[in-house]
Formats: sequence, structure tokens, C-alpha cells
Amino acid sequence: MENEMISTQYLVMIVTGVVLGTTARLLTIKADYRQYPSYPNGYLIHVITGFIAASLGAVAIPALMTKNFVAVTFLTLAIQQFRDVRRSERESLKDLENTEYTYRGDAYIDGIAKTFEARNYFALVVALVSSLTIQILNLDQMWINVIAAIVVGGITFYIINRFSKGKSIGDIADVKQGKVEIKGSELFVDGIYVSNLLGSDNAAKMYEEEGLAVVIYPHQEHYRIGLDNFGQRQAILFEATRALGGKRYHFSRKEYDEGRIVITLVPITGDINKLIDTVKNAPVLESVKKSSSLMKTKYVGRE
Amino acid sequence: MGRESSERPNYQILAIVTMTRNRVITGSPLALFAEEEEQQKRMAQDLAKAMKADTVKTKDGDYLILRV
Repeated sequence: MENEMISTQYLVMIVTGVVLGTTARLLTIKADYRQYPSYPNGYLIHVITGFIAASLGAVAIPALMTKNFVAVTFLTLAIQQFRDVRRSERESLKDLENTEYTYRGDAYIDGIAKTFEARNYFALVVALVSSLTIQILNLDQMWINVIAAIVVGGITFYIINRFSKGKSIGDIADVKQGKVEIKGSELFVDGIYVSNLLGSDNAAKMYEEEGLAVVIYPHQEHYRIGLDNFGQRQAILFEATRALGGKRYHFSRKEYDEGRIVITLVPITGDINKLIDTVKNAPVLESVKKSSSLMKTKYVGRE
Repeated sequence: MGRESSERPNYQILAIVTMTRNRVITGSPLALFAEEEEQQKRMAQDLAKAMKADTVKTKDGDYLILRV
């Protein structure tokens, strides 16, 4: 019976790995201005999947050390599980598409789903590295092993968290207030034509009195490739309506000469500063990101 | 517009309110004739309210009732 029990060393290794991995997942659940995932059910789901990911990472080393090589193949199960997390996240967001003020768009949903999948890998990797640290040190004073695992796990978390962090619109462009003008039934922002949907007097009056607009000015010419992308603009518009509410109208428009992007809406609440902050904080989608330096390189491709 | 036109939103013309009799053509969408401008405006507004739709005034003076 004694031989069938797990040793104290492995128990400490597993518990440390699980705790650190789950903590890594907890630290990456952010309730920022986007309010997603929502408290409390969204939190619970992601903490539990993070805990499972951490458990899988933590038991990998003890499994190897006990010559249980087949058991390591359950890491492939982990990959499958994380893909399911991505799939369920995508399905859930797509189900909500028709109930929001505006569409998130497929590109944004894909980005969010990938982020949730990636954050489970954080938990797995941190747990794996922590338990590996304990195994490598293998000191008699168990508390030194644990402290070393915490330090190494923390560094690992910092590195992968930094690596996976994306840019936001404020990093690649200036966001300034735009001047709303109504000419007949047409809406202009800073002289850029946006829409002619304001056919009725009520609509024109509402937009004139309550409409807010911002104009995005890309810092570099090549940032236009990403900013002009329909999915990217839809994501920005979604964030704007999500933060300020959408009373009636919301539009995005691109201008071709200078690459300016207009985001305009009639909000339920909030002011222009809140709109500017929201647009600046909107993420640059992974699927539209392009590396201009990579495009210039001569290392790959034809002569 | 290229690819963008195939993306959402999809506009649907629900009705047209015109003061030019020869632009009233039977079929879909519904085309209505208005005698004068105030009536045209009123008809467009009532239809838009009833169908929770948006109104566009064309440069030729017609009103289109659209739904996104």
C-alpha cells in the first residue's frame, strides 16, 4: 500500500505546479473596459479550465520520473482540450452576434478565441516549468525547492505573457476628435463623407446634437494595411458601441488619401474622451497584423 | 467597394416614397406616390418608424426606407 502512494516530493511538485499554473491563469483573466469574460460565470469557466491545464502540466514530470511514459501522451489531450476551449469560445461569441449593438466580426471573434486558448497554455507551461525546477534542484529542504519554483514560474509567466501581448490602436495611430457635420441627409466627419442614412429630420437633428466622432491617423503608411481592414474597423466600432452604448447610429469609414479612419456613433452615455480612450485601447487584431520589416527582407523568397 | 460590399451589413430596401409618378413601379420593394413634400416626409417617417428602419433622401428627392 505504501508503495502505491505518491511520494511527498512528487506531491509537493504537483501541488506547487497546479497552484502556480492556476495563478498564472487567474492573473490573465482581466476585467478591463471590455468587460469580457463577464463575472461570475465566465470567470469560473476559465479558472476551472486553467486549473485543469495546470494539473496536466504539473503531473507531466512526476509521470516521466516514475517511468510512466505513456501517461505523458495525455499532454496531447491537453492540446485537444484547449482547442475545444477556443471552439466553444468562438461558438459562444458567434451566438451573441445578433444581440450586440453591432457585430464583433469574425476576425475579432477569432482573435478573442485564440487568446483564450493561448492563456490555457500559460497555465500548462508555468506548471510544467515549476515542477521541472523542483525536480532539477531536488534539495532536501523542500521549501527552497518551492521558492525556486515560484521564482522560475514567475519569470516564465512574465516572458510568455509579454511575448503574447498584442498592440492596441493607440500604439500605431493617433486618435483625435472629429467634427460632425450634417449636410442635407449626409453625414460628414472632418470633411470625410460617412453616410447618407440620415434622411429624416429627426435623424439629422439627433446626430447633430448627440453624435460623437473620432478620426484615426496611422503613424506609418504601412499601418494602413491593418487599419483599413474591415475586420479591424468592425472590432474598433464594436468596442466603441460596447463602451458607450449605441443609441441609434454607428458608422466606420475609411478615407483613401491619407488613410484616416472615421468612427462615429450616437452613444447612450459617455463623452468624447471616453470614446477616444476606448478606440485607443481597442486591440490590433492578430489576423490583420503585418510585419513590414519581414516584407522587405531578402532572406526568403525569390531573387 | 470590392470585398467590403459582401460583408455585413446587408441593406434591404423596404419601400420608396417618391413625388415622381413614373418612378412608382409595382412589385417589390413597395413604391408609394406622395402629392407634396410634407406628405412625402410624413409617409417616409411613418414607414421607417413602423418597420424600425432608416431613411435615406436621394438627391432626386425620393425617400428610401432601408433596414440594415
